[in-house]
Amino acid sequence: MDPSSKDRPKDGWNPDLNQDEAIIAQERLIEKEIAEKICLIGAKCDLMRLSSEYPDDDNAFQEKIKDLRKRYQWMRKTRPDGNCFFRAFTFAYFESLLQDEPELTRFITVAEKSKEELISLGFPNFTIEDFHECFYGVLNRIKSGEISTSEQLQAVFNDQGISDYLVVFMRLVTSGHLRSNEEFFSNFIEGEKTVKEFCSHEVEPMYKESDHIHIIALTAATKVPVCINYLDRGQGGKVTVHNFPEGSSPRIHLLYRPGHYDILYLDSIQNGAVNNV
Amino acid sequence: MASMQKRLQKELIAIQKEPPPGVSVNPANIGPNLTQWIVDMEGASGTLYEGEHFQLSFKFSPKYPFDSPEVTFIGSNIPIHPHVYSNGHICLSILSEDWSPALSVISVCLSIISMLSSCKEKKRPPDNSLYVKTCSKNPKKTKWWYHDDNV
Repeated sequence: MDPSSKDRPKDGWNPDLNQDEAIIAQERLIEKEIAEKICLIGAKCDLMRLSSEYPDDDNAFQEKIKDLRKRYQWMRKTRPDGNCFFRAFTFAYFESLLQDEPELTRFITVAEKSKEELISLGFPNFTIEDFHECFYGVLNRIKSGEISTSEQLQAVFNDQGISDYLVVFMRLVTSGHLRSNEEFFSNFIEGEKTVKEFCSHEVEPMYKESDHIHIIALTAATKVPVCINYLDRGQGGKVTVHNFPEGSSPRIHLLYRPGHYDILYLDSIQNGAVNNV
Repeated sequence: MASMQKRLQKELIAIQKEPPPGVSVNPANIGPNLTQWIVDMEGASGTLYEGEHFQLSFKFSPKYPFDSPEVTFIGSNIPIHPHVYSNGHICLSILSEDWSPALSVISVCLSIISMLSSCKEKKRPPDNSLYVKTCSKNPKKTKWWYHDDNV
């Protein structure tokens, strides 16, 4: 039955309608609409475009966007599919690797070590190998110069098959770090869940949104410091800024709006040629 | 699509080379393009299902392994278990919400074996007759709620 059928009683209970199917069909429809409208990783655009997303008289947001513009000139949007933190983080980091061979070499070793750690934690060998192979493949294409521009990298990240493999690997790296440091992280998990349960419910599955704990674990595991700018309706006219780990000097910059992460770029004068559009 | 078949090919080799105890895959039961498998499963010895033979149907969408496989018991012997409906549908969180692409056919089989093995009393889920009457043919179209992880 078509769940959007007009025959459906307006507010009554329709016993002929399978409610589960209707809910799922509606969720799929929303996902499809989002997927058609928003790329996994969008083009770089002027940060001021953000202000057009809020009413002119919405002072709380407009003031904060102006504040944000003092430090950042560009942004890149990501698709809000629950993977946005991982995808934004990975894209922004890989983009920085285009100009930084020593860091790329370091990171290839980190990824290799993570793979071994995951296998030693009991993750199925061949699925881990599978994800690592794809992940390493992209890093290697950066190393060889086959991927040398942001546009080429963006095309790779918009190929859903590859892009999702990269996200999965980063999710697993995060989970591996949480599980290896179980004692420490168990203090941050609410309720009765163990770290292992938390990982299998909230970290490893695709489309599950990220929280502070994911960010702490991923930045610690990869040693890639990130700066997150929180844009919300809170008081004060200034965005709240958090560096992970605390006190680090960030390599990549993200924008957080409740439930979603996008990528930010510093003012091009400060950041030189890397940020040329 | 290509990544899905590459992955399933690897999984098929792995499960044939080192199947979990009691699990086997007859190559004749692998559907076109690897999108459907039938997996044979024996009830583990020392459990309530010892000596029983079951069949599991696995269906894979083009989005596998990002989307979970559709897994149901099929055939004449559907295990009587508090999480298995008489139409073969299984209430197991890794088959929907908690699915992760790091899981595989082998890990699903292991979870199902462990679910069966830890069962203390053979009975159907309390809402079996209503569910079987009203559910979709595809268990992935059910919004499951998991009340008890311990069975």
